[in-house]
Amino acid sequence: MKKMIVLAGMLLTAATLNAQSGRDIVQRVKDRPDGDSRYAEMQLTLVKKNGNTRERKMVSWAMDEGKDTKKIMFFTYPGDVKGTGFLTWDYDQAGKEDDKWLYLPAMKKTRRISGSSSKTDYFMGTDFTYDDMGGRSVDDDTHTLLREENRDGHKCWVVESKPKDSHEIYSRKLSWIRQDCDTAVYVEFYDKLDKLHRVMTVEDVQKVDGFWTVLKMEMTNVQSGHSTRIVVSNPKYNVGVDKSLFTVAKLEKGL
Amino acid sequence: MKNIVRFVLLGWGAALMAASPVHAQDGLEWGVKGFVDTYHALRTSGDADWMSSRTRVRGEFRLEKDGGGAFVSANLVYNALLKDKSGFQLREAYAYWGNEHWDVRAGKQIISWGVADGLRVTDLISPMDYSEFLAQDYDDIRVPVGALRLRFIQDAWNLEAVAVPVPEFFVLPTDAANPWSVGALPPEVRPSPVVKNMEYGARFSCFLGGIDFSLMALRTWSKMPELQGDHIGYHRMTALGGDVSLPLGSFVLRGEAADYIFGGKHQGNALIGLDWYPGADWNVSAQYNQTFGEGERSNLATLRVSKALLNNALTLSTFAYADVRDGGVFNRLSADWAATDQLHAILGYDYFYADGGMFLIYKNNSEVWVKLKYCF
Repeated sequence: MKKMIVLAGMLLTAATLNAQSGRDIVQRVKDRPDGDSRYAEMQLTLVKKNGNTRERKMVSWAMDEGKDTKKIMFFTYPGDVKGTGFLTWDYDQAGKEDDKWLYLPAMKKTRRISGSSSKTDYFMGTDFTYDDMGGRSVDDDTHTLLREENRDGHKCWVVESKPKDSHEIYSRKLSWIRQDCDTAVYVEFYDKLDKLHRVMTVEDVQKVDGFWTVLKMEMTNVQSGHSTRIVVSNPKYNVGVDKSLFTVAKLEKGL
Repeated sequence: MKNIVRFVLLGWGAALMAASPVHAQDGLEWGVKGFVDTYHALRTSGDADWMSSRTRVRGEFRLEKDGGGAFVSANLVYNALLKDKSGFQLREAYAYWGNEHWDVRAGKQIISWGVADGLRVTDLISPMDYSEFLAQDYDDIRVPVGALRLRFIQDAWNLEAVAVPVPEFFVLPTDAANPWSVGALPPEVRPSPVVKNMEYGARFSCFLGGIDFSLMALRTWSKMPELQGDHIGYHRMTALGGDVSLPLGSFVLRGEAADYIFGGKHQGNALIGLDWYPGADWNVSAQYNQTFGEGERSNLATLRVSKALLNNALTLSTFAYADVRDGGVFNRLSADWAATDQLHAILGYDYFYADGGMFLIYKNNSEVWVKLKYCF
């Protein structure tokens, strides 16, 4: 009888795994409700191996247009980058280049920057790439659901994602995605030699205005010992912003 | 030396007092930012004399309420070599008003047009301050102008109209004590400050998925002093042009072109640039600029390469101008180390080589320099 129950359990698990593909799960994460627009303040703390820290602070707004997203962000600290702004139009369609502009207040000029290559660059010296900050299209990777398992008391899907473009900085990543909130709470990134390179841990995810929100996360480069903590404060949803916020004119005007 | 120490201490005190985030009260918001920096350059040939030695506090103050506001930017400078460059210098001071569909800005301001990097094709309104040639930060090189700027703003385009009642012109150093001096010049005769001599123009800019472009028209003056008989002066001209930026994978192609029309003559000025973002915090940018037609001709090329290391704590960069026609190079090499969030230590080397042309006068001005900058 016991063997039958175990067998039934295994069959049920297999059925569940088959019912939902890795792509479906990553698409669920991408489609997790987050309102039509949103605002947040972020503090990024860069921690060297010896414990020394540096900080970056910024504010950001985002607005959905269909499946695409427009974002604008401004640095507020430290002084040498204060006023620097990024404007991004993220396209959901795989292979379509994002549109990106950078405003440098010292130059008083807006520069169009590449929408493709910078995705794999690290964001302002942190351990997060531009892609990690949320702009990656689901079909830029091939996703495979490996298993389900509990992590910190939460039931998770474990999904392996391999980039289709060989120029990406990682060869694969493993994501533990909480089933109750469709949020990746632990991610391992492997380098081209398939050695563990970076680990992202979400330390605090809560519902804000009815939307699941990551409030604290950390990315550690296990090879260099450098890490970056991001703390999100004052998140707001459906903030009623207009398209005119996501323009070069606004980027140049600043906060 | 004592003066420098006193000045730096005064600057740091001011910086610490002023360091503040944005404050808000009854809808009135205000904020202060700026920096203290000290810059010293030593010639690497001949007498190994000081090329520059200056310390300053830069303060920027912004006050805003209900879409209107004011911005002031000023320097307090101590220049050990050029005493007349010491003291208070107002950079920008303007008021602004507007909403998401239009804005107006009036006062002393820097106006930047075009997509070129360090070269001027359509960017003709704010001239250049060559007090230390190109061996200054870019925002120090631009000369603010007293202007009225009106913009109509839509999601994908904007239209900017500018009027400059009294034009500003290039600043050329003539003080013999300045190692960057171009020598004594005949008396300068500027256009008289009357309405018919004002500068005015407009720029229409489009920002679309996959391409940006602008068209401009400007009634202006040649801004570089030219010998006109027994004096130096300027000539009236009209500039018609445009620019474009086109992202292509990991590259961005940039271009600018303009037709300068003066006295029934035409001079063309065109630039093409390519920015490459190969990843891993590398940036490479190259430009080629050529004038053709009537008037003084030039062929310039630039190359910028930068690489950020140690999680952006260290940035190595080089920016070279090459005078293609006459044979000459100016290359600014620098290493910028962010010691803390606020404090940067920068070490650099400026290299000049010239057989003739625009860099010839500075062929012995290669220098090593150091700068400390504290931002607040």
